[in-house]
Amino acid sequence: MANTLAIAGKELRSYFASPIAYVVIGLYALLFGYFFLLFLTAFAEQSMRMAAMGMNQPVNVNQMMIRPMLGNMSVIGLFILPMLTMRAYAEEKRSGTFELLLTAPLTDLQIVLGKFLGSLSLYTIMLAVSSLNVLLLFWWGNPEWRQVATSYLGLFFIGASFIALGLFISSLTKNQIVAGIITFAVALILWVISWVGDSAGELGRAIVSGLSVIEHYDDFSKGVVDTKHVVYYLSFIAFGLFLTVKSVDSERWRG
Amino acid sequence: MIEVKHLTKRYGRVTAVDDVSFRVEKGEILGFLGPNGAGKTTTMRVLTGYMPPTEGSAVVAGFDILEQPLEAKRRTGYLPETPPLYPELTVREYLTFCARITGVPRREREARVKASMEKARVADMANRHCGKLSKGYKQRVGLAQAILHNPDVLILDEPTAGLDPKQIIETRELIKGLAGDHTVILSTHILPEVSQTCQRVVIINKGRVVAIDTPDALTARMQGHQSMYVQVDAGGADATATFCALPGVVQVQRADVRGALVGYEVEGEPGRDVRRDIAHAVVTRGWGLLELRPMRVSLEDVFLSLTTEDAQEVRRG
Repeated sequence: MANTLAIAGKELRSYFASPIAYVVIGLYALLFGYFFLLFLTAFAEQSMRMAAMGMNQPVNVNQMMIRPMLGNMSVIGLFILPMLTMRAYAEEKRSGTFELLLTAPLTDLQIVLGKFLGSLSLYTIMLAVSSLNVLLLFWWGNPEWRQVATSYLGLFFIGASFIALGLFISSLTKNQIVAGIITFAVALILWVISWVGDSAGELGRAIVSGLSVIEHYDDFSKGVVDTKHVVYYLSFIAFGLFLTVKSVDSERWRG
Repeated sequence: MIEVKHLTKRYGRVTAVDDVSFRVEKGEILGFLGPNGAGKTTTMRVLTGYMPPTEGSAVVAGFDILEQPLEAKRRTGYLPETPPLYPELTVREYLTFCARITGVPRREREARVKASMEKARVADMANRHCGKLSKGYKQRVGLAQAILHNPDVLILDEPTAGLDPKQIIETRELIKGLAGDHTVILSTHILPEVSQTCQRVVIINKGRVVAIDTPDALTARMQGHQSMYVQVDAGGADATATFCALPGVVQVQRADVRGALVGYEVEGEPGRDVRRDIAHAVVTRGWGLLELRPMRVSLEDVFLSLTTEDAQEVRRG
C-alpha cells in the first residue's frame, strides 16, 4: 500500500511539476464555466417566460439545468482524460524510468494501481474545481443536493473508467501521442456505440447500450444509484487495470 | 553473493545471452567487458529482475531472482545505461521517491537521501530539476539512486559514460570505496577502467563468456612471446633483414616510418631477451638507436584477441 501511494504521489507531483495539471484543470474549468453560463442563461430565460405565462410552479433547476449540464461534462471528460493518461507509461518507457520501477521491489499491481490512483486524484481535483460552479446554485437557489451528488458520482465513475482504459493503452506503446489518439478513439467508440439505434435489432441494442459508457451514466444523473451501473463501472475499471498489469508483465518478457 | 548459472536470454530468434555462468564473491568488483551488443546490458537486466531469463537461473544476495524477486531487488541497486530520471522532479524529490519505493523506512529517508547525494557529489544540485542537469550530473544522480537504499549488490551499467575525465576518476574512486561493503558488477567497454577498478573481469562476446580472470592474469596469458619496439635512424636503409638475422628473433615488422626514423616490432622467442643483440647490431652498423622497449601486452590486446574472429591478425595489425 505504501508503495502504491508512493507512486500515486509521484504521479500527482509530476502532473503539477509539468504544465499538464494546470492545462487540464484549467481547460476543464473553462469549459465547465462556459456550459454553466449557457445553461444558466437558458434556465433564467425559461423561468422568466414561465413566470410571465403565469405559471406558479417553479422550474426544476435539477432537471432543467444541472442534469443536462453535467451530462455535457461527461463528454468533455472523454476529450480531456486521454491527455491525462497518455504519458503515464509511454513516457516512462521512452525515458527509461520504467526500468527503475520494474527493478525496484514493487509488484506490477502496485505500479498499476499507483498510476491509476495518481491520475484519478487529478481527475478528482478537476471535478472538485468544477463543482464550485454548482455550489453557487445552492447559494441562490434550492437544488436537490442528492441528485447533484449522484451525478458527480457518475462523473467520477465515467472518468475512472476512461482513465483505466487510457492507462492500459498507454502501457502498450512508447509513443504518448499514439496512446492519446487511440484512447480518444476507443473512448469515443464506447460513447457513440449507443447511437446505432433501432437498426441493430432488440438484442443488438441491448448489447450496445450495455457497453456504452455514457448510457450507464443516465440513471446517476437522475439521482438513482443502481447497483447494475456501479457494477458496470467497477468491472470496467477492474478489467482495464487487469489488462494493464498483464501488459506491464509482458513488457518484462518482451524486453 | 551473486551466482549466475547457465543464463540464456533469447529475443525471438536472436540469442542475446548464451549460457553465461559466473560467480561474484562478497565485496568484490567484477568488470563486465565486451563490445557493444555483446549482451552486457541484457545480463544486467536479468540480474536486476527487469526481465526473466529464457533459461538458467541467478541468485542475487542469497535470493533467486525468479522465486523471490522482491527480496532480491530490495538488496540490489541498479544504474541502467541511461540514468532513469524524471525530468520534472528535483534531485531531492526524485531520490526521496526512490527511497520510498525501495523501502527505506520513513525515519531514515531524509538521512539516506542526504548521504547518497553527498557520496555521489550531487548535493549542490539537490533542488535542481533532473531534466536540467548536465549529462555528468544525471549520471551521478543515477548513481546516487543506486546506492540510496544501501544495497548489498550494485549493478552499474557503464557508470562512467558521459563523464569528463576528472569525474571518471572520482566515480571510479567512489566505486572502489563501495567495494567491501557492497558487491559490485560494472559493465564497460572502456578497458583501462577494468584494470583500474575491477578485481576480476568477465569478457563477454556475442552473448558468450570468453574469459573470466583477474586483469593481470588475462594480460599475462597473452604474453607468450616477448615483443620489442625498436626505433632506429638507419639513414634510409631497411633494418628488417638485419634484425631477422639475429639469433632468437622470430619475426620482424616495420611498425611506423617518420622520415628517416623507422620503428620495428621485433618478436623474440619466449623467454629470450633479444634487446642486447638488437642494440649491438644497430650500433655496429653505425645507425642511431632512438628507442628500444619491450611492448607490453595491454588488456586492450587481450580484449581484441578474445573478441575478434581472427585473433592473430589483430594482434599484429
